[in-house]
Formats: sequence, C-alpha cells, structure tokens
Amino acid sequence: MKVLVIEDEAELRRSIKEYLHNEGYLVESANDFNKASEKTNVYEYDCILVDITLPHGNGLDIVKQLKKAGSEAGVIIISAKNSLDDKITGLEYGADDYITKPFHLPELNARIKSLLRRKRFDGNNRITLNEISIEPEKRLVTVKNTELILTGKEYDLLLYFVANKNRVLSKNAIAEHLWGDDADRVDGHDFIYTHIKNLRKKLIEKGCTDYLQTIYGIGYNFKVNETNN
Amino acid sequence: MKLITKTIFYYLLMCVPLILIAFSASYFLIKRAVNENLNEEIWNKKRKAETLIDSFKEPKEVFFSIDNLSSIKIDSTNGTGYKYKYLFKMDPEEGEQIWYWQLKSYYKSKGVNYLVTITEPKFENDDLIESLSQMLLLTIAFLIFSFFILNWIISRTLWRPFYKTIHALNIYDVKRGEALQLDKVKIKEFRQLNETLEEVTAKIRNDYKNIKEFTENASHETQTPLAVIKARLDLLLQSPNLKENDMKQLEVIEQSVAKLSSLNKALLLLAKIENNQFKEVEEVDLEAVINKTLLVYEDMISLKNIKVKRINKGSACMKINSLLADILISNLVQNAVRHNEANGSINIEIYPHSLVIANTGDPLTVDKEKIFERFRKNDGSKESLGLGLAIVKSILNAYNYKCNYEYLNGFHTFVLEF
Repeated sequence: MKVLVIEDEAELRRSIKEYLHNEGYLVESANDFNKASEKTNVYEYDCILVDITLPHGNGLDIVKQLKKAGSEAGVIIISAKNSLDDKITGLEYGADDYITKPFHLPELNARIKSLLRRKRFDGNNRITLNEISIEPEKRLVTVKNTELILTGKEYDLLLYFVANKNRVLSKNAIAEHLWGDDADRVDGHDFIYTHIKNLRKKLIEKGCTDYLQTIYGIGYNFKVNETNN
Repeated sequence: MKLITKTIFYYLLMCVPLILIAFSASYFLIKRAVNENLNEEIWNKKRKAETLIDSFKEPKEVFFSIDNLSSIKIDSTNGTGYKYKYLFKMDPEEGEQIWYWQLKSYYKSKGVNYLVTITEPKFENDDLIESLSQMLLLTIAFLIFSFFILNWIISRTLWRPFYKTIHALNIYDVKRGEALQLDKVKIKEFRQLNETLEEVTAKIRNDYKNIKEFTENASHETQTPLAVIKARLDLLLQSPNLKENDMKQLEVIEQSVAKLSSLNKALLLLAKIENNQFKEVEEVDLEAVINKTLLVYEDMISLKNIKVKRINKGSACMKINSLLADILISNLVQNAVRHNEANGSINIEIYPHSLVIANTGDPLTVDKEKIFERFRKNDGSKESLGLGLAIVKSILNAYNYKCNYEYLNGFHTFVLEF
C-alpha cells in the first residue's frame, strides 16, 4: 500500500510517516505544492493525505488535479482550519475524508484503513482478525461465527481497536474517535471505561480471547497475535 | 443639566448684578433730575414771593399758594440767609402722610424783614421708584422669557446635528465592523466633531479588527505545534521501553495537550463568531438539534442517572447559522449535564420564541452576572474550560438574541429568547 503525505510542517510529516510505516505502509512525502503535484503526476498512490495550506499553492488544487486525471487514490484532507467551507469544498472536489489538526495518529490510521477498505473492495470488505469477523457495510460482528450484538459506541470502539491493533491508544484518542468534535465536551474518560468494560465482557462471553490490555492509566492496547491470517 | 438650562442659569446670574446696577443708576439719575426740578420750582416760587413782597404797600402776612403751604410772614428775629428742611406730615387731600420739601428764607424789603416759607410735596419720587421697579421687573421677565424661547429655537435648529451625532454614537457598535457614518454639517465646530469622531472610530474599528484577527491567527498557528505534540505522543506511546512511571508522566502530558487543544478550539470559535464568519443563516428547528445533542450526551446523562423532562409548547424555529445552533444547544446541554448532581434532572421547555433549559444543582459560588464571562468557573468544575457559556453568549449576541439565567427552586434556569 502506497501512501503520499503532503504536509509542509516537517515534524508532523515525519510523525505521520513513522506511524504509517509501522503500520506496514510504503510512505512517501512532499513538503510543498510543486513537489506534491510532481509526485502525484508521476506515481500512483493508494491513499494521499493533503494539507490545505501549502507553500506555493493550495492543497485543494491537488485534489482537483487528481480527480481530473481520473486518479483512483483515496484522498484525505488535513486542515488546520476547522472550517465547514473547506470541508465542503474539499469533499466537492472529490476528497474522501477530512481531518482537522491537531489529530491523533491512530485516528488518521483508522480513517486511512476505512478509506482503503471502501476503495479496494466493492461490497465485500470483511475484516477478519482471528475469531473476530466484522462486516462494516452491515455493521455486523461475529465471533466464532456467532453474531455479537453491540451498541453503536461499542461497535465503533471495536472497529477502532481492530484498525489500530497492537498499538497503545490513549484515552483521549479513543474519546476523540467516539465523540469527534464533541469529545472535549463529554468528559469522555469515565464513559470510555464503561464502554470498554461492556465490550470486553461481550467478547469474552462469546468465547473470544481477551485481547484488550489496559496500559497503566493512559489507555488500552488491542494486542493480537495473528495466527491464521 | 441640559446645556440650555445651564446657559440660562449663567445668563441670569450675570443679569442680576447688571440689572441692579442699571436699576440704581437710573434711579439716582432720575431722582436727581426730579429733585433739581423741584428745587427750581421752589426757587421760582421764592422769587415770585419776593416780587410780591416788593409790591406790598405796607407790611403784611399772606399765604400765597393754593394749598396754603407756602407763606410770607413778618420776621422779628432779623434772620438772614435760607434753610432747607424735610417734613413728613399729613396731606389733607390724599389723607396720608407724605414727604415735603421746605425752603425757609429771609427777605428784607422797605426796612421790614420777611420769612418766606415755601413747601412742596415730594411725593413724585415715591411714584417714580414704584414705576421704575415695575418697568425693570417687566424687562427682566421679558428678557428671561425671550431667552427661553430663543434658546429653545436655537437648540432645536442649531444643536440638531449635535444630537444626531450623539444618537449615531449611541447606536454605534464597533463589533459590527461598520464605519460610523455622520452627516456633513455646515457648522464648523460640529463638522470638526463629526470628522474627528469618524477618524477615531475608524481607528478603533481597525484596532479591534486587528486584535480579532490576531486571536484567530494565533489560534491557527497554535494548531500546528499542538498537532506535532499530539502525533509525537502517539508515537512515543508505542515505544516498548516505557515503564509505568513514564506512562504516568505521558498521561499527564496527554491530558494537558488535550485540554490545550480544546481551549484553543474554543478560543478560535469565539474569534470566528465575533468575526462574523458564520454568515449563512437559516431557520433551524431547535427540537431536532436538541434531540441530536441529547444523543451525544446520553452516556453522561445515564451515568449520572439524570432524568430529562421535555415540554413542547410549539415548534421553535431560530434564525441562526446551523453550525452555531448545534454549538449553542450543545453548550447549554453540556452545561446542564456537567453541573448537575447525581440523580438530578434536566427540564427542557420549548416554546415558539423561547427555550428553557434548567438543571438541578448546587447554587452558584460565583456572581450570577458573571457566569457568561470567559474563564469564569464555578468552584469544583475541573473539567470545564470556562468558555462554554461565553460561547453561548457570543452566539446569541451575534443575532441579538437574549439569554437570562436565574436560580429558581433549586434549578439553574437558562431562558433563551429569539
């Protein structure tokens, strides 16, 4: 999987590259409009992350160029502005998703995974992780072939853990995933604990291995040793 | 005190001594003229009496005026010269006591010494003072009256541009970002005033704009380093060498960064609202927004076991930007949930042009006038940034809607009018 990170802020670019590299992606980067434009013209990518404000140009124009050239790449816009206009314009230009700075890397990772899944498999995009199987289209989860009934939040949580398996996820990152922009309003940490407790209970009840590890006070790790896939 | 009242006050203050001086001056001048006249009359009579004495064939005593006040008598004391005298006695005709002026002089004719007494009533002087006072009083009254009328007319016409300027300043709001438009007037002073005011407000407007832009830019610029810190923390968390203590340190950093990040978002939002960056306005059905918002807070509501009571007295449509409507309701509900007690309740009442959100909770420890101020927090609300209600106020201000807070029967009650 090839990912292009178009971001002018060096440290952020490096962080994104490192995280995605650890996730097994082939990551390239560009730090200004011209380089980004050059790379997108020459190479094919599965996913392109593009910052709106770039030296020498606007990230939205790159999205425009890509769509004009009929690119199949999934595009996620990164913006420092939490502006609805930018979001709407970006999505109108053909971007697939929009994420606002500052964001958590596991969140970006989950977005990329979800995007690639949608792009690559048409309809049949089942996620399988040992005994757990998820069909995102139907929001259906099965453990050892029996259906697991989850609440909306529990389902989101499981999908997030699966997307970021074997990674330590801070409670803040989880809260931001579950509540989005409202995360800082809902004092989410207590509720994360409740939701995780319920999710874990439901998984174990269905005979699922207890993958969820609590990492001291800071967060959780969905630790999976994949055996058969 | 109005300018016109003050002017008249000073005018009167200045008039009183002037009028007194004029009064006394004219009084003395006229009195002197009258006295001179009287004196002349007396001397004329004296001369007539002497001519009469000269014509006497033999010495005799006579009264030579009609009122019998002037007389010629034979004098045996051999007196010479003359003497003035004031008398105060009954006037037989008027029936009251009046002042008289009397001249007694001696005259020798054909070896006989005569005493000539001439007495003239002096009552004209009293009349004079009386009529003079009346005249002056009338003059003062007339002056004051005409001054009032004149000032009234002047203030109606001459001061009109001034009052217009005051009115324009009264309704001027620098937050709206419009220039202050004042009339071009002919009177130089007012024109100068208007020009100066226009210049000053233009400068204030510019400064205000700069400050607002600064806040917005500063918030934007803070996003990038925050993004870097957040990303680096996420990476650091994956390090296999971290010990429990390191993790605890990281958690504190994580929390602080998260708080900083939401603080920054809230400040940016405030700056944007004040910069009127949410321009599109539509009819928003508040009930739908409330339903959506309660879903977000369902966890918090059920954890605290809060009862939510809803009363619908009609559909509430608010003319507002839809994003701001979400934020507005979200902040109010958040406030009602966060500052609620366990097993408490939230009452939401929807009326066509108002919305009431009330929640149980301990009374405020801060002044209720101040709860809408930025960073004003009630004691013990650690999670709160202290910006939620400031944002509510700011949103409502942008549309000239009202929000009132009262603590009623154990309920913190917020009433929105739109």
